[in-house]
Amino acid sequence: MVAAVRREVQAILLVLLGTALLRISLFSDAYLRYVRAGLRPYLVATGVALVLLGVVSAVAAVRAMSGAAAATGDPDGHADGPGHGQPGDHSDHDHHGHHDHHGHHGGPRIAWLLTLPVLAIVLITPPALGTYTAQRSESTATKPASADAAFPPLPTGDPLVMALGSFDARAVWDTSAALRGRRVKLTGFATPKKGGGWYLTRLTISCCAADALASKVEIRGPYASTEAPPQGSWVEVVGTWQPDGQTAQPDTIPALTATQLTRIPEPRNPYE
Amino acid sequence: MTIAPEHPSEGRTSAGSGTPARAGARRRIGSLEVVVVGLAGLLVAQRLSGGWTGPPWLQAWTTVFVAICVQALPFLLFGTLLSAAIAAFVPASFLQRALPRNPVLAVPVAGVAGVVLPGCECASVPVADRLIARGVAPAAALAFLLSSPAINPVVLAATAVAFRGHPEMVLARFLASLATAVAMGLLWARFGRPEWLRPRARREPPPGTGRLAVFRSTLEHDLLHAGGFLVIGGITAATLNVLVPRDVLKGAAGVPGVSVLVLALLAVVLAVCSEADAFVAASLSVFPPSARLAFMVVGPMVDTKLIALQAGTFGRAFAWRFSSATFLVAVVSSTLLGWWLL
Repeated sequence: MVAAVRREVQAILLVLLGTALLRISLFSDAYLRYVRAGLRPYLVATGVALVLLGVVSAVAAVRAMSGAAAATGDPDGHADGPGHGQPGDHSDHDHHGHHDHHGHHGGPRIAWLLTLPVLAIVLITPPALGTYTAQRSESTATKPASADAAFPPLPTGDPLVMALGSFDARAVWDTSAALRGRRVKLTGFATPKKGGGWYLTRLTISCCAADALASKVEIRGPYASTEAPPQGSWVEVVGTWQPDGQTAQPDTIPALTATQLTRIPEPRNPYE
Repeated sequence: MTIAPEHPSEGRTSAGSGTPARAGARRRIGSLEVVVVGLAGLLVAQRLSGGWTGPPWLQAWTTVFVAICVQALPFLLFGTLLSAAIAAFVPASFLQRALPRNPVLAVPVAGVAGVVLPGCECASVPVADRLIARGVAPAAALAFLLSSPAINPVVLAATAVAFRGHPEMVLARFLASLATAVAMGLLWARFGRPEWLRPRARREPPPGTGRLAVFRSTLEHDLLHAGGFLVIGGITAATLNVLVPRDVLKGAAGVPGVSVLVLALLAVVLAVCSEADAFVAASLSVFPPSARLAFMVVGPMVDTKLIALQAGTFGRAFAWRFSSATFLVAVVSSTLLGWWLL
């Protein structure tokens, strides 16, 4: 039986959780592997709040403990019931509203589980989703919301730097074929294609990594086979769209004839 | 509150003034020791692990698990802050006066009141729990629980952005979600049994406790409690997320009745935050509009992490009954509204 979480330990848990959040949001960019960039201020605020709450709670616990040791009662004027200082190994108390005598009786045992994300963040800091996820999902070329709204004209630039997802959407759904003949520069990682060759791949998240969707572009030309980058490595590819009259389906994978390929480090934000 | 009857000896040992030193020694056998040893072990393990991340499937699992926890924590904190504020600063009599006494009237009022809580589903569970503890009729609190993550302005705005050019989708989502929430509230008022909800005999703090102390202790307790269940939900969602390949779904897209059910089930499995699910729904463009509507109506009301949170807060007997009934009502209402509006 797992011990109930005592008050001092609750405080430690809160501080640990807050520190883990701050570690990935304030002190590094690792949060970008899990959530959208826009969530950062909320993560920092949550981390700070958790640490503060933990510290306040620890101070209260220490004051209560020393108060009890001196037999003067709880300086808070509450929470100094006879249950003070149980080892917390009784299972019958874990969920009947222990909070109301937030003394030393022990918090919910379920709170131990909060150590799991802390451990995962501190020990592993899991990498961003990559080829494993991409190989197991279809390519998604999100159809523009309204069929009649035409794509705006492509900006100038040669090569034109594009997000992989918008390249896919253009290639599959743009009936004016504005991409024809344009040199574009795309960034993504290499995912092997069944039967040889590879896809330039990028994952898109709308909230967190749990909803990741893949966008893929089939790479043709000399870089398709002989000079293919290793699986999972990040590359910048310059090339031109190769229309081959595929019917427009959300899972159509457009092709690009690559003329230039550069290995790059993983971008700061691995998702689009 | 006293817990002495069950543990008289421990109570006396530590609270009695006789042997504080011995009491201190006894106390340190518990969780504090575990945590201290664990922390030391953690530091060692971090040195030894040297960036080990495991096989690809485990990597993906850990990433999704951490992502779900990290993404939900700010919303969970917001919900527990609100819940603690209600516990500490809103008198029970105010809430009882604010809502009509007749549940048939109170349920729609509470459902519409869901508009005011701009959060996702993790925030609404502690708040609904607190409302019940403060004497709000469970039927009304449950209608609020279901409607608030689905029809608040943030979620509706996100839906409008995701389905640009299709305002009827926003309207359909609003109406179908509200209808489901109100229907579930009324169903609870008619058929619900109080014993399905976990008894909460000792929720109220002892009289004379300072408001700030109530606020802090409620916040701490709710946060740790709901956080623990969030982790269970995260584990479930990450496992299903990695196990179920999305391609499996494609075959079902063409079949009208089946496609609605499949996307409703996908919403349960994926546990996407309600503020983002519209973007996921928009990307599932092989599916007909009613199926995508069902995805957005079911998702904020029934999903793996929410079931875990509800089971932890209200008890398992409640969670499975309520979630399965909500699932059915949500599927029916989104089918009907999809047929009417989309």
